[in-house]
Amino acid sequence: MARVKLDITRRSFLKGGVAAGGLALMSPTASIGAAGGMLNARDPWYLEGPIETTYNVCDICPWRCGVIVHSVNGVVRKIDGNPKDPKSRGKLCARGQGGVSFMYDPDRLQSPMIRTGDRGSGQFKEVTWEEALDYVAAALLNIKDKYGQESLAVFGHTSGDAWFADHFAQAWGTPNAAKPSSSLCLSPRDEAATLTYGSAVGGHEPVDWDGIEAMTLIGSHIGEDARNTVMQDFANAYARGAKVIVVDPRQSSVAAKADYWLPIKPGTDAALMLAWMNVIINEGLYDQDYVAEWTQGFDQLAAHVLEFTPDWAAGITDLSAAQIRETAQVMAASRPRSVVIPGRHTTWYGNDSQRMRSTYLVNALLGVYGREGGMYINKSVYLDSYPYPPYTVTGSSGGCSAEPGAETESALPLGPTGKARADGVREDFMRGATALQELIDPMISGDPYPIKGLMVYGTNLLNSVPDRERTIEALKALEFVVAIDVLPQEHIAWADVVLPEATYLERYEDLWTVPHKTPYIALREPAAEPLYDTKPGWWISRELGMRVGLEEFYKWETIEEYLDKRLVSVGSSIEKMRAEGGIITQSGKPYLEDFGDSSPFHTATGKINLYSEELAAAGHDPMPVYEAIEEPPTGYFRLLYGRHPVHTFAKTQNTPVLNDVYSENVVWLNASAAEQLGVDNEQYVMLENQDGRRSGPVRVKVTQRIRNDAVFLVHGWGHDSPGLTRAAGRGASDTQLQSRYKLDPISGGAGMRVNFVKIDKEGV
Amino acid sequence: MAEHAFLLDLGRCIGCQACVVACKTGNELGEGQQYIQLIEKTQGEFPAITTGWDNHRCFHCTDASCVAVCPTGALYKEDGLTRLDRDVCSGCAYCTQACPYEIPVMYEGKASKCDGCAATTKAGGTPWCVETCPSNALMYGTREEIQAEAHARAEALRARYPNAHVYGENQLDGLGMLVVMPDDPEKLDIPIDPKVPFMAASWQTVVQPAAVGLTLGAALIAGGAAVIARYRHEQEVEELEAQGVIGNGASSSEQEEG
Repeated sequence: MARVKLDITRRSFLKGGVAAGGLALMSPTASIGAAGGMLNARDPWYLEGPIETTYNVCDICPWRCGVIVHSVNGVVRKIDGNPKDPKSRGKLCARGQGGVSFMYDPDRLQSPMIRTGDRGSGQFKEVTWEEALDYVAAALLNIKDKYGQESLAVFGHTSGDAWFADHFAQAWGTPNAAKPSSSLCLSPRDEAATLTYGSAVGGHEPVDWDGIEAMTLIGSHIGEDARNTVMQDFANAYARGAKVIVVDPRQSSVAAKADYWLPIKPGTDAALMLAWMNVIINEGLYDQDYVAEWTQGFDQLAAHVLEFTPDWAAGITDLSAAQIRETAQVMAASRPRSVVIPGRHTTWYGNDSQRMRSTYLVNALLGVYGREGGMYINKSVYLDSYPYPPYTVTGSSGGCSAEPGAETESALPLGPTGKARADGVREDFMRGATALQELIDPMISGDPYPIKGLMVYGTNLLNSVPDRERTIEALKALEFVVAIDVLPQEHIAWADVVLPEATYLERYEDLWTVPHKTPYIALREPAAEPLYDTKPGWWISRELGMRVGLEEFYKWETIEEYLDKRLVSVGSSIEKMRAEGGIITQSGKPYLEDFGDSSPFHTATGKINLYSEELAAAGHDPMPVYEAIEEPPTGYFRLLYGRHPVHTFAKTQNTPVLNDVYSENVVWLNASAAEQLGVDNEQYVMLENQDGRRSGPVRVKVTQRIRNDAVFLVHGWGHDSPGLTRAAGRGASDTQLQSRYKLDPISGGAGMRVNFVKIDKEGV
Repeated sequence: MAEHAFLLDLGRCIGCQACVVACKTGNELGEGQQYIQLIEKTQGEFPAITTGWDNHRCFHCTDASCVAVCPTGALYKEDGLTRLDRDVCSGCAYCTQACPYEIPVMYEGKASKCDGCAATTKAGGTPWCVETCPSNALMYGTREEIQAEAHARAEALRARYPNAHVYGENQLDGLGMLVVMPDDPEKLDIPIDPKVPFMAASWQTVVQPAAVGLTLGAALIAGGAAVIARYRHEQEVEELEAQGVIGNGASSSEQEEG
């Protein structure tokens, strides 16, 4: 084909080096002759010099995909999935692709700082690391001397949190270490699982996607929560023709793909689950052999659900009895390759452990656990810990990276001055990981004992913990606050000392040990030197430890020495891991038959507890019941929240490339409700909740994709820290509108979908 | 050499936008510049609704009207795909008016659209969007491979979507991106029978013959033609921009969350 040919200098090809590693680009010079033709004018980054690859574990969301990082001339340019990693399998989501931009965000914290103005004013002076660390150490020792070690709370989130909320806190001796990933997210799911089949779900939900034939999602948003592996697994199962049932008040991305979308009335899921059990049992659709061999309490459950018919549930859930019956039959037709997917964020209405237990009971009736195409039994990694002396206090921070069964003992661990956790466990709630939001009140009231110091690592306190005004009150009341972070998030302005951390692309980390079908170990190594005057979390943790008398917990001199010491137990080393693709995979024991005559279920009886003696003994319903929740008052909508596929938590809104793709959240409003209110699509409004808390301005998305009794916001927006130059002032903050929450009496989770908002068109 | 093509499987796509960001980072696109946009399309009334995502990106038409109207040769066909050389683009914006799918936009004074990752594929890589897609909704290969895969996938998809079919075998003499379409493309506002606008057809008879078979001289002629053409139509383009018919940035306000 003849066409105009222009003479483009091909200097870009000629100066390029030979590409190496996972990118699999050919030697650029060799490809010119064969390809011919023209190129986009700009020199592609991968031709600027030799490509260096390093192995890493993505930190942008909590899923933690193994990635390969490509750098050229010391500059990080591109991140791809690591094909050897069981999570990423060579693929990466939108957020993970934004990692480079997260690292080079010019708004990052750049130097250690000590406060000069009032708390909250954001006035600091830049200091040296030496000065900042000495200051923090003196303040921590002062708290220890005056109140005891337990009066320091340590909050941690994101992938370096173990250096602070686990290792430092346990060595120091405070039981008040907490993670938002527990009581603001996973606690109900994992406590209910432990009560039902003896272990927590685990960070990587053990759904045996490869052989699944039917999947049921209860408010779980594959495609929006963007867990890379789950999107891959879902797409493959879907393409194979696996049936999809989605229960959600909103037509989420995955609901749009569903064979059955059940737009349930918010807060009534337990009624649906009870009716499903009613159908599955009464129509004899359950796995009778499995139930007989592996469960206890079936007769009680059968009697319990007898009255919860589809007709009964229809009146509660706003679904039809026929719909309820048909979906139960569809689920049962594929058993045991039919799973109610455990989901992740489950702190919704305060009755969440019971709801989660009801989903597990459906799974048990379908004979799912330990079965191919159902839920496999995940196995922990074999790897030695670093040989530390015993910790001063046993940890209970939980979190998505915790090993199953974080807190199951009846006696609570005590700190060095004899005090147990201050979060009200055993009194206000039964058990579970330390409840972060329950440590806020003791900071203000001093009850049961004063919490006077706070070390906060990577946790956006003011855009993740409900009742923001209470949190600010606590931040005012504390004697000392040290914040370790990458970005000037809202709470940074309230710290006495700010320690700027290097991003995951600029630091080593402890090894990832992931319980899995094939348990594995993943390596994080730096792709570049830390920018500005920032330091890795492990270094900060160690420097603080050495200054407060915890030398015996930081005996290693360098992180490489620490990692190599641990890797000896599996015959490996950093060098060996590098040479072998950054991942060590071990074999698992996924199915019932792998356990011979023993049981994979770590319950007292070795069976799945359909009826829970533990719950009965603690005064809770031994089998799930449906309890109605408070309805929105007239003129108000229930505030639902969730994810956008391009952003994580309150963390990435300022990341240039991700902000460029999605730069503010919108409030989803049902089209007929919008018409009644006289609100147009894209119109800016303010949201005001039942307590008069306001957030916005936020654009309205007028849509048919949500019920008319609820609105939906993507979580994490409405930043007001002026240091976040791209994100500040964009959209509405769901946290600001969550002035209350309902405590789950079993797990200590904070149910946050109990807030109502009205639309204010005028006050924009 | 066998021509190449893309596969876009809208049966698998779940709207996660990994392709969007992989494209932006791999190609180091500028602020506000996107080659792929996911646009939500919902039909019906609650709760009887269907939603899909228009993966709005270059279809790489064989009979490419953007190429036909391009006075400088910045847009051209190669290997079955529609390339764009922004160094050569004069910024006349004709392509933005000629494309039946409304794909090219102006970015910093020049045309902007997917070039099929020309540089990356020539260096032995895979287009960034394909490389990363978690749903395996994207593929890149020889046209024969892609055609076979598209038909196999459409056939399998018919168990769930009876109207599933392959889009792009007949449109505009064949598209360089074959789409596994679960249902009627018009539900995603994608035309069933896209037409080359009259303007593009007339350009073909005026400018193209002058360029055929020529080399540097033709480039000068074409370049000269571009200068003249641009002068004559500058006002018209400005007017169209003012009316919002053609964009002056890559990012559209249609972008919605999925």
